[in-house]
Formats: sequence, structure tokens, C-alpha cells
Amino acid sequence: MSEMTFNLRVWRQANSESSGRLVDYTAERISEHMSFLEMLDIVNDKIILEGDDPIAYDFDCREGICGSCGIVINGVPHGPNPGTTSCQLFMRHFKADETITIEPWRAKSFPLIKDLVVDRSSFDRIIATGGYISCNTGAAPEANNTPIPKDIADEAFDAAACIGCGACVAACKNASAVLFVGAKLQHLALMPQGQAERDRRALRMVDQMEAEGFGACSNEGECEAVCPKEISTKHIARLNRDYMRAAVKQALRP
Amino acid sequence: MNALTRILNSPVGRKVTMAVSGLLLLGFLVAHLTGNMLILVSKETFNHYGHTLISNPMIYLAEAGLLGLFVMHFTTGLYLTRKNRAARPQAYERNERAGYASRKTLASTTMIFSGLVVLVFVPLHIWGFKFGAYYESAEPGVRDLHRLVIETFQQPAWVIWYVAVMTIVGFHLWHGFGSGFESLGLSYRKGLRRFGQFLAVVIAGGFLLIPVLIYMIGDKL
Ligand code: HEM
Ligand code: FES
Repeated sequence: MSEMTFNLRVWRQANSESSGRLVDYTAERISEHMSFLEMLDIVNDKIILEGDDPIAYDFDCREGICGSCGIVINGVPHGPNPGTTSCQLFMRHFKADETITIEPWRAKSFPLIKDLVVDRSSFDRIIATGGYISCNTGAAPEANNTPIPKDIADEAFDAAACIGCGACVAACKNASAVLFVGAKLQHLALMPQGQAERDRRALRMVDQMEAEGFGACSNEGECEAVCPKEISTKHIARLNRDYMRAAVKQALRP
Repeated sequence: MNALTRILNSPVGRKVTMAVSGLLLLGFLVAHLTGNMLILVSKETFNHYGHTLISNPMIYLAEAGLLGLFVMHFTTGLYLTRKNRAARPQAYERNERAGYASRKTLASTTMIFSGLVVLVFVPLHIWGFKFGAYYESAEPGVRDLHRLVIETFQQPAWVIWYVAVMTIVGFHLWHGFGSGFESLGLSYRKGLRRFGQFLAVVIAGGFLLIPVLIYMIGDKL
């Protein structure tokens, strides 16, 4: 097993009020099989032994399904691999002795808490305005009672794969959340159960996105490129359609 | 919220405004280029074309429409860009393109700058030609625009300016065409993007060809 060394430049910032800066660290004796977060753990062990404040970063599952982790690695959210969360990124994807720049998600709507940890509750507030179905559904229905074509079911499932990590916002030059909102709208809008509240949901969630201070879409597709679930920008096109249709319907309502 | 302001003043509405106005302006560019190409046919054809256009009273409606689209596009563009920038107050220390599914290009990141160049260009362009020197052609009442165009583009400074601006317009359309359709709710299609890029090259190439040709062989036109 080969061991590697990396030169890290890590964003350190005590809290949202103080100003931050990149601090150099050396990550030594790193195995190629370690995940990016395990590598940071090794660095933190050393920092703690030296009596300093360890680097703060978010994680929970470490298996790519919770969306807690999120680090901008060498200028790309979740690092160089497509369809990967930071926790599932392995050190074999880096060259030994490489300099790795590590930064937090940067967006006005994701205020920094400490170092690499940001507050993503703006996403929760967007969901709270309509990212659900509010009718009582009772017990799980018989699956074949509501026929849904396989291709539609697949698309809804693809949208539902969103783990809300915020990489789309971090990658977008406008810090726009339309891929997130699009996914959260479409996994419901594609289903029969989602129809009743479809218009209201689109209007409320997009308006909340605006109120939270996220930008608009410039159709660059960076979000899809960094999304660990590779959610397609076609859900943004659908968001545009749904929002405009709902807004026009509302305007024409007597 | 008032329904109309909601439509216009939402992140989606602003982009729909950009797309509708931008794509209609692009349509105008195609028509404008086709008309301009008549200068390569003959002096008379070109002057008659210009005369026909301005003698139709509908021209005022068309001009007002174009002005409206243009104002709508650049005011929304400026406001949108300001809001988009405000969404990321602190820049990344290191920022790279993600590759893979990304369509980010030099053109897509500089839309506001290419747009601002057009914003400076258009008044100068109208001032230089529409409100430029009035020569009477052999036919009474018909303006000799041909002469003004030829005279203008025999000056290298004007040729360089037009070639530069048209190249920048090409950049704007390189991203703008495909992006516009996506803003209107069409999913990303590689073919449509490619077509938009082809169109951008044709439009920019066509527009810059005219001054270059006139500079090179103007006396034969
Ligand atoms: C003949 C003139 C012009 C044409 C044909 C044109 C065309 C377009 C098109 C088709 C788009 C894509 C819209 C979309 O993404 O939905 C666009 C975007 C844009 N245009 Fe123009 N445009 C012109 C002039 C201008 C001017 C004068 C400005 C001045 C500020 C401008 C600023 C912008 C900006 C900032 C965007 C990008 C918006 C974004 O990133 O979301 N454009 N343009
Ligand atoms: S820690 Fe859960 S997705 Fe990375």
C-alpha cells in the first residue's frame, strides 16, 4: 500500500463575523483507499495533538446518501469525480504531493458557520413552502392501483434522488438553487399524487428561493456536472414551464 | 403578490423576459443581415431596399417594437446580473469548470460584458448610418445609403470596430441562442446548442464580412 502526502490549503474561519483565510496543512501518510473525509480526519488528529482547533466540516452518513458533506475541492464542489459526494471521493483520484485547495460552499443563502460548515436551512425553508403533498394518503396503497408509465416513474425517481447537499448552488456562478428546486418540484409534479398542489407548489417554492437570495439560472449546466446524483437540468426547464404556467393561470383567474 | 409583477419579477420571469426579447432580437439580426447582404448585389438594389423600408409607415411601429425589446433586454439583463452577483458575495479562492455535463464557456460567463459592448455599439451604429450623412442618389427622393456605407468602411478604424463588435455579438449568441430556449422551458439539447453556435458564427461572420469586403474591394461594389 502506497502512502501519499498532500499539501492542503484549507479555508479557516472562526465564525460568520470574522474574516477567513486559507491555511496550509500537510496531510501525511495518506492511503489511496482513504476517502477525502478520512484524509481530513488524519489531518485533524494531528491538529488536535498539537493543541489547535480542528478543521470543522459537515458529514453524517459517509456513504453518499445524506447530503451533509459538501466541500469545494480544487475549485469544484465535491471534487473532480462526477456523480460523487465528498465523502465518497477517494484519495486515489489525487496525485501524490498535489496541492489541494479546500473551501466551503459560497453563497449568500448559505451563511458560513465555521471553516467548511455552512448553514443550508434556506433549503429547508424552501421545502417548507410546498415540497410535499398535504392530503392524507393513509396506509401505503397497492402499488398497481395507480398505473404510472415506467419512463415517467424513472424520471420522477431520478429527481427524487436529490439529497439536498447544495453542490448545485455552490457550483453555479449565480448561486442559483433551481436544480434543487426543480428536482424537489418534479419528483412530485411527475406523479398523479402531485397534481393537486402542483401550481401552488411551483409558485411558492420558486418565490421562496428568490426570497432566500439565490440567483437565477444562466443555463450553464455546472450544477448537473457537480451533482452527486447527476440530476438533469431538464428539471430546470420543467420548473420554468411549471412556474410560468402557474403564474399565468393565476393571473387569468377571474 | 400582483400576478403580473410575479411573472416578470421572479427568477424565472426575468429569464423568460431575457429569452423572449433576446430571441426576437436575434430574429431581427437575421433579417437585418439578409437585407445588408443586398449591398453585395448592386448599389441600386441596396438603396431601393432601404427606401422601401423607410417609406412604409409601419416602420415606426417596427422601430418602436425593436427599441422596446432592446430596452427590455438590457434593463432586465443589468438587473438580473446584479442580483446574480449579489447571490455570491464572497468569491472562491479557486474556481474551476466542472467539465462533464457543464456547458459553461467563455461566452456564457461574459454575457453581461458582450451585452454592454452591444449597448454602446447600437446608438453609435444608428447615429452613424440612420442619422448619418444624407446623400441623394440619382433617383430623386431616394437616399444614397450605399455611398455612406462604402465611405464609412473605407476607414480602417470603422472596419476594426465593426469586426470587433460583431465578433463579440457572435460570443453573445454562441451561448444566448441555446440558453434562451432552455429559459423558455425546452430541455437542453445538444443539437439545438450546436445549431445556435452555427447561427452565431453565420450571423457574426456575415455582419463582419461586409465591412471587410468593402475595405478590400469597396471600389468595385
Ligand atoms: C442584438 C442584441 C442582442 C441579442 C440578439 C441578444 C440575445 C440574447 C439571448 C438570446 C440571450 C439568452 C437569454 C437566456 O439566457 O434566456 C441573451 C442573454 C443575455 N443578454 Fe443579450 N442580446 C442582445 C443584447 C444585449 C445587451 C445590449 C445586453 C446589455 C446588458 C445584453 C445582456 C444579456 C445578458 C446579461 C444575458 C445573460 C442572462 C443570464 O446570464 O441569465 N444583451 N441575450
Ligand atoms: S456524509 Fe452523507 S453524503 Fe457525504
